[in-house]
Amino acid sequence: MADQVLDAKGLNCPLPILRAKKALKDVPVGGTLQVIATDPGAVKDFEAFCRTTGNDLVESKADGKVFEFLIKRTS
Amino acid sequence: METKPLFILLCSGEHEKLQMAAMLASVAAVSERPVEVFVSMNAVLGFAKDAPAAERYHGGAFSKLLTEKRAPDPMALFRQGRELGSLKLWACSMALDVLGWELDRLEDDMFDGALGLTRFLSDAENGQFITL
Repeated sequence: MADQVLDAKGLNCPLPILRAKKALKDVPVGGTLQVIATDPGAVKDFEAFCRTTGNDLVESKADGKVFEFLIKRTS
Repeated sequence: METKPLFILLCSGEHEKLQMAAMLASVAAVSERPVEVFVSMNAVLGFAKDAPAAERYHGGAFSKLLTEKRAPDPMALFRQGRELGSLKLWACSMALDVLGWELDRLEDDMFDGALGLTRFLSDAENGQFITL
């Protein structure tokens, strides 16, 4: 069960990333944020976001046009 | 991996370029990449305080689409970038002088000050430079 859930469905680039960054502030270090998005660029965007910020992309899955990401806050 | 800071020279008053600058700057900032934006020429007009969107944003076909589809406002994106990362905006002192404007004619809580090109170019020496 993620510490926070961010529903970013219907939001297009760059909003899912901006909202995720903001939501992560309320996640304790070691905690997780689940993001649900429909932006087609989201998969690669979240991979890059986790790489540049050092957070862990624990899970990335797609169910049709809906993507779900589980991000672990590392610092 | 060392990331070079991003320096954006924003001169165009076109809606599409203001939007792109705001997107680039806010995404870089939340990706923990320091960004500085130097706003000059027509772009300064896009930051006029309290100007309604219709006055601020002019452009081509894409500008109309951005407005119709309610794309996030560039000013809101810049603000989010500033809140969530290291994003500085500088108003070109020459442009302000030519307009006869002080910083207080521009959007609140947006600019870190007025700056000249010499300083901006010098700071950008070890960064990546983009012109819009």
